[in-house]
Amino acid sequence: MQVRYNLRGAIWLSIYLFFVLAPLFALLAGGLPPARDFWTEFSAALGYAGLAMMGLQFGLTARFRHVTEPWGEDVIYHFHRQISLIAVGLVLAHPIILFMVRPELVALLNSIQAPWRARFAALSTYSLIALLVMALWRVKLNIRYETWHVTHIVLAVVAVAAGVAHMVGWSFYVSSPWKRVLWIALPVFWIGVLLYVRIIKPLFMLRRPYRVAEVRKERGDTSTLVMQPDGHPGFRFSPGQFGWLTLWDSPFKITGHPFSFSSSAALTDGRVEMTIRNLGDFTSAIPTVPAGQRVYLDGPYGAFTMAGNPADMHVLIAGGVGITPMMSIIRTLADRGDTRLVILLYGSKDWESVTFREELETQQARLNLKIVHVLANPPADWTGEKGFIGAELFKRHLPPPYGDHEYFICGPDVMMDAIEKALAELSVPLSKYHSERYSFV
Amino acid sequence: MRRIFANRLAFATAAIVILMSALFAFIRTMG
Repeated sequence: MQVRYNLRGAIWLSIYLFFVLAPLFALLAGGLPPARDFWTEFSAALGYAGLAMMGLQFGLTARFRHVTEPWGEDVIYHFHRQISLIAVGLVLAHPIILFMVRPELVALLNSIQAPWRARFAALSTYSLIALLVMALWRVKLNIRYETWHVTHIVLAVVAVAAGVAHMVGWSFYVSSPWKRVLWIALPVFWIGVLLYVRIIKPLFMLRRPYRVAEVRKERGDTSTLVMQPDGHPGFRFSPGQFGWLTLWDSPFKITGHPFSFSSSAALTDGRVEMTIRNLGDFTSAIPTVPAGQRVYLDGPYGAFTMAGNPADMHVLIAGGVGITPMMSIIRTLADRGDTRLVILLYGSKDWESVTFREELETQQARLNLKIVHVLANPPADWTGEKGFIGAELFKRHLPPPYGDHEYFICGPDVMMDAIEKALAELSVPLSKYHSERYSFV
Repeated sequence: MRRIFANRLAFATAAIVILMSALFAFIRTMG
């Protein structure tokens, strides 16, 4: 399993590197302009590689299932963030090295007198810096998420388009037509991917709406949206996966909201449910959604599934509203008549806010399900587990060897970090646990 | 942990890209 996990990772990384390095080394084919000094050539290579990586960013966040599948959507978004910093670093290193080895080029920073090819370079660089500052300090700068999202996309397109214009304008390595076509086609392809996600895909979603059949009140300031496909059969999902929900607007609205499905994947009528906690933002309006409301769902997504992961037993670890994908897993296993042991370690604030408390008890009659509630603020007469889920709790409730079970973890970041650390202490290999953070956007 | 893995993946990518860029420059200047 670990070998397969590493192999998938290696293949994924190779494909990523191929898209960055193959176009770069293609520049060495055919006729070449006279070589310059090492640092100038190195700086040029960094510029090309940085541009290719910037283009690839559109592919990483384009919600392609096969791209995200080996890692999970949250890890891909994290990689997107980290690799952005690196790509910007490479792009900035390009002029900095050039200015150091050829100081006369500093004059190109004067955009009034500089040629267009230098102006485009400046535009690309400034867009990237603005993009980076807004991404790193969005909350501190008090920028609304929706505003940031639109600006992020616009700045990214401007940065890549201006980068291409600079490269074509300079024309040093792309003077031959096929090289120029290659290096223009690649960024155009990636921007095309963005158009596909933002225009073509929403057009398809427009023809496949859902209707809210019911809004169910749950414990813990949480509501379940029950949605039925309207005029189409809906989609099938694996328990643990999520979808992007567009509630009040058209699917062309730039910001969707990712939520796990909480319903059974064994349902055949296309009905899907999402259980959403009131966090004071967009989610506060969920209880007021009227029955019959038209909504749009983009999904299913996520690698947080049991598919292809045979195990002796499943350990589900949920914190707060992180119970929603677990509920889908439990309901699905029960509907399928699965006989394997399922242990649910479920952390909640207090006993009254335990979402799905009653249903979990009834599911125990249908499934070999053991539930361990862990309360942060337990009532005075509480005899169960209290505090937070950690390695000691695992040892009390899980049968060894710990590395043989399949673990599914969903909850707040702090809890996820602690549990991943605890599992590592118990020598559970990375391939045996699945986690998807719901705070990745 | 998986995010630490993603960090390592990003740094490994960066290292390979920088090395390959240096190789590109080396081939150009030596070739």
